[in-house]
Amino acid sequence: MWRITLKGVFAHKLRYALTALAVILGVSFMAGTLVLTDTIGRTFDGLFTDIYHSTDAVVRGQQSFNPSGAFIDQRPLISATLAAKVRDVPGVRAVGLVISGYAQLVARDGKPIGNPASGPPTIGEAWVNEPALNPLRLLAGGHAPRAANDVVIDKRSASVGHYAVGDRVTVLSKLAPAAYVISGIATWGSVDSPLGATITVFTPATAARVLGTPGMVNEIDVAGVSGVDQDQLVARIDAALRGSRVEVVSGLSITQQGQKTVHDALGFFNTFLLIFALIALFVGSFLIFNTFTIIVAQRIRELALLRAVGASRRQVTGSVLGEALCIGLFASAIGLAVGVGLAAGLKAGLKALGIDIPASGLVVAPRTIVVAIAVGTLVTMVSAFLPARRAARVPPVAAMQDVIVEPQSPSSTRALVGVLVGVAGVAALLVGLFTKVAGRMGFVGGGAAVTFLSIAILGPLIARPVSRLIGSPMAWRSVTGKLAQENAVRNPARTSSTAAALMIGVALVTLMTIVASSTKASINTIIDSSMRADYVVSSGDVTGVTGGLSPSLQRQLSQLPQVATALGIRSGIVQINGATTTVKAANPRGILDLFNIGLEKGDVASMGPHDIAVSSQVATGRHLSLGSTVSVTFSSTGRRLFTVRAIYRTREVAGDYFLPLAAAQANFTQQLDVQDYVQLAPGVSATVGRRAIDAVLASYPTATLLDQAQYKQQQFKQIDQVLNLVYGLLALAVLIALIGIANTLALSTYERTRELGLLRAVGMTRGQLRASVRKESLIISLLGSAEGLIVGSLFGWAMVRALGSQGITELVFPVGQLLIVAALAGVAGIVAALGPGRRAARIDVLRAIAAE
Amino acid sequence: MTTLTDDIKDSPSVPIRPAARMVAGVKVFGKGETEVLALNGVDAQFAAGQFTAVMGPSGSGKSTMLHCLAGLDRLTSGQVLIGDIDLQSLSDKEMTIMRREHIGFVFQAFNLVPTLTAGENIVLPLTLGGRKPDREWVEGLARALGVEHRLAHRPSELSGGQQQRVSMVRALVTRPDLLFADEPTGNLDSKAANELLVQIRGAVDDYNQSVVMVTHDARAASFADRVLFLVDGSVVRELNYPTTDSILDAIRELEE
Ligand SMILES: Nc1ncnc2c1ncn2[C@@H]1O[C@H](COP(=O)(O)OP(=O)(O)OP(=O)(O)O)[C@@H](O)[C@H]1O
Ligand SMILES: [Mg+2]
Repeated sequence: MWRITLKGVFAHKLRYALTALAVILGVSFMAGTLVLTDTIGRTFDGLFTDIYHSTDAVVRGQQSFNPSGAFIDQRPLISATLAAKVRDVPGVRAVGLVISGYAQLVARDGKPIGNPASGPPTIGEAWVNEPALNPLRLLAGGHAPRAANDVVIDKRSASVGHYAVGDRVTVLSKLAPAAYVISGIATWGSVDSPLGATITVFTPATAARVLGTPGMVNEIDVAGVSGVDQDQLVARIDAALRGSRVEVVSGLSITQQGQKTVHDALGFFNTFLLIFALIALFVGSFLIFNTFTIIVAQRIRELALLRAVGASRRQVTGSVLGEALCIGLFASAIGLAVGVGLAAGLKAGLKALGIDIPASGLVVAPRTIVVAIAVGTLVTMVSAFLPARRAARVPPVAAMQDVIVEPQSPSSTRALVGVLVGVAGVAALLVGLFTKVAGRMGFVGGGAAVTFLSIAILGPLIARPVSRLIGSPMAWRSVTGKLAQENAVRNPARTSSTAAALMIGVALVTLMTIVASSTKASINTIIDSSMRADYVVSSGDVTGVTGGLSPSLQRQLSQLPQVATALGIRSGIVQINGATTTVKAANPRGILDLFNIGLEKGDVASMGPHDIAVSSQVATGRHLSLGSTVSVTFSSTGRRLFTVRAIYRTREVAGDYFLPLAAAQANFTQQLDVQDYVQLAPGVSATVGRRAIDAVLASYPTATLLDQAQYKQQQFKQIDQVLNLVYGLLALAVLIALIGIANTLALSTYERTRELGLLRAVGMTRGQLRASVRKESLIISLLGSAEGLIVGSLFGWAMVRALGSQGITELVFPVGQLLIVAALAGVAGIVAALGPGRRAARIDVLRAIAAE
Repeated sequence: MTTLTDDIKDSPSVPIRPAARMVAGVKVFGKGETEVLALNGVDAQFAAGQFTAVMGPSGSGKSTMLHCLAGLDRLTSGQVLIGDIDLQSLSDKEMTIMRREHIGFVFQAFNLVPTLTAGENIVLPLTLGGRKPDREWVEGLARALGVEHRLAHRPSELSGGQQQRVSMVRALVTRPDLLFADEPTGNLDSKAANELLVQIRGAVDDYNQSVVMVTHDARAASFADRVLFLVDGSVVRELNYPTTDSILDAIRELEE
């Protein structure tokens, strides 16, 4: 039987080519993702090992909780005087005082070098004199920072900003922008800069002032005498520092912690990309299913003959599944190779963007090989399973029969199964969207996949009338259209499952488009109804974790005579009620001038440093009223109690909890504003006001001034960026669906060789034949996109409703954009028909007459 | 290229204008070892309004000759003229239009597009050419061939004889210069075959249709005005006003 199987694969290799291509695309995406994230992970592992190469112990502040995902620890600073005690501990060879924080270099043209909001971090540090504890290597001609205004910068920033030793450079920090002199340029170990970060290194005294607090440091790094046991060293230091609120960690465990943080973040990135790889493979499975179904139908006589001469059903199924196995293995292996190539290309691309990944080779883990081959092969075999079973049901007498009938399950069974599967899918989807079960995303994803399957099962029942309807404008007074229409409906199961593959892509695009439009509309409404400020000054970094605006900017702005109020907003990661959340803080006196937060009870302006404002939703949910106590845990200062002073409605602006500036100053680690809101003084025109503000902003190159309309546009742009990324990732699924259409058309054309020859004989030109194939393709793709638009709209509706509590209050169906999606799907369908159409047109006229 | 009128002047023995001609037709299939000489210098003319039967042993090149005459295939060398148009000089598209407008066919089987109804199949050559069918003409033909009640049916719902008669209607619908038929009765029982042959004869007599028909059946050939005998790719004999007996005699002679 194996010989027959292999012969089957080779005999039909052309017909299997597109199937293999679909598997290759899906698997290569998956393998590429795994290789890339593994490579980046390995790189970071190496980086952390390098950083802590000679570090045997680290002394740092205690953190009440770990704000997940934050690369920069939100730990309290510790006193620099502890260093003397540490140095006296036996086994300690050297100590390094680590001070780090936000510092941003400005290029000669006034533009910032690097942007932490959209790229690698921009870090300021103190120079560490102990070479073993300092990864920076000065290039010849420079020296470490000695004077208060000396800085050393990384080699990459020097070349990007065209700076040389001796040049003056402006540095942004939490203080007002200031000029420094470049005393040296350094590499970071062997690379120009770690992953493209910009690094500015000050003298310890300057660093403490510019980045932190004088007399305080972030960390004390300890190098032990050679051969010292890290754990013993840690224990000894711990004993020496007993009583101070610090923790001592071994060099090894801090390396591992750093590596773990990165792996966690990469894991998210990995999952995100793998979801799209799985979508692509899911779409590909429809194509595989189609190919095997069609090939089984075309080989029905051959299979019947096998049965007639004594092959068992199991052998027939086995032979078809064997073919699937061969193709799955072959395509997965190629997909794996392509994926590795893809990762190499992406790595090179990152390098071109200045993100240098120093690790030499790509990491192709055994796990990647196993997963890629196994998933690709399994998807192929599972998709081929039903056709293989169908092959086994071919009765031996079919060898003698003339008419080829594709066995089909009765429509009532199909309807019942389809509806049941659909109900299950929608139920899972709704549970995932509207309840708080564990693994919600799994419910949503699985529910959506099952819902798609149910449409695919029900599809053949509606494919005939719907395709006829879609085809009728084409069939009107056009023979090619009429033929296309008839061909599209002659095998509804085939048309439907081909269209279903496209449906998935279109539905997801529709869903994303609806969610994005609804989000934009909601933002629009929120800004219109609650923003009273004339302008927003934004640093582009809305998290405030790695960068932001110096508070000096807010001070300068509020001093302008043209400005009535300027308010800085801070942001911090805290724990409230067991959940980690971001809270915003601002000077309570300006808030009501600049925002309509829908104050329901209490008063904002009079909030003191131990007061808090909460949203009415939280107040109801947690039974809070004015005067209630709320406990907030800050990562650096620990648990603090606040009294509820105000309750407001508009949580979209202020979030669920809102702190006065004084509380933020006392407890947040990061003392940068994420945004400044500005209201002009009465009677000041926009032009005048803008000019005055711009003059201040000139020395803050990361700051951009936006009026309300521009602010909206900025938010829309961010949404569009995400949307475009998702579109780009979904493009693969759509591409596979189009390959599927081309595949079905090619296989159908092959099957209709005689008929096409006949048409050519009675006078159909090649152009007309191509037109007919094109129109058939158009019908299939429009069917798929119609299904996709409907399913996607329902998903979009459910999703927007589910996101209502996240501030998406408007539901928008962007009809114009959705029509464009449908039109693009149609155009793509026409493109998919090009290959099969050309092949059909080349069919020899005489093939119609020649007996088989 | 010699024109048709020159030929007529040169050969006064041809009384009427030929509808089609093959001049020194050679057709070679394959290459080298597997080379087959299917037509070995065929000269034949088919007069307008005449019904010609082509006979010969299996593999003698009958179908090949018909295909080349009908513009379904090209000669390796030589000429095919339909009216005064040299088929060899036509592009694929011109050849397609030629077939669509000037030539009709009936094959042994698989004459109809399965997705279209009989009526749609009939007018296919017209609609493909963007022409509107002349309803009276189509209905008249359908009635004459006895398929007027079957026009809304798909080919799979028709008997073999009905399918062949629908094909005849389709072949005649464009009022072609020439009607070619390759064993049109090969799949039919004798009654259905007889009906079809009567119709073909009728088309020749009533509409002055020129017909070329390949057949193995002496009785079918006896409906023709003339029989050409092909052996090994050459015309070896011609019989005018044949009867079943004279045809059988000729076959016997050729076999000796
Ligand atoms: N496409 C082809 N390729 C190769 N050889 C061919 C092809 N078509 C026909 N032949 C050969 O050309 C010769 C003539 O074939 P043709 O089909 O014209 O014979 P025929 O007289 O119609 O026979 P039959 O009565 O069996 O239909 C045969 O030897 C045949 O094998
Ligand atoms: Mg023949």
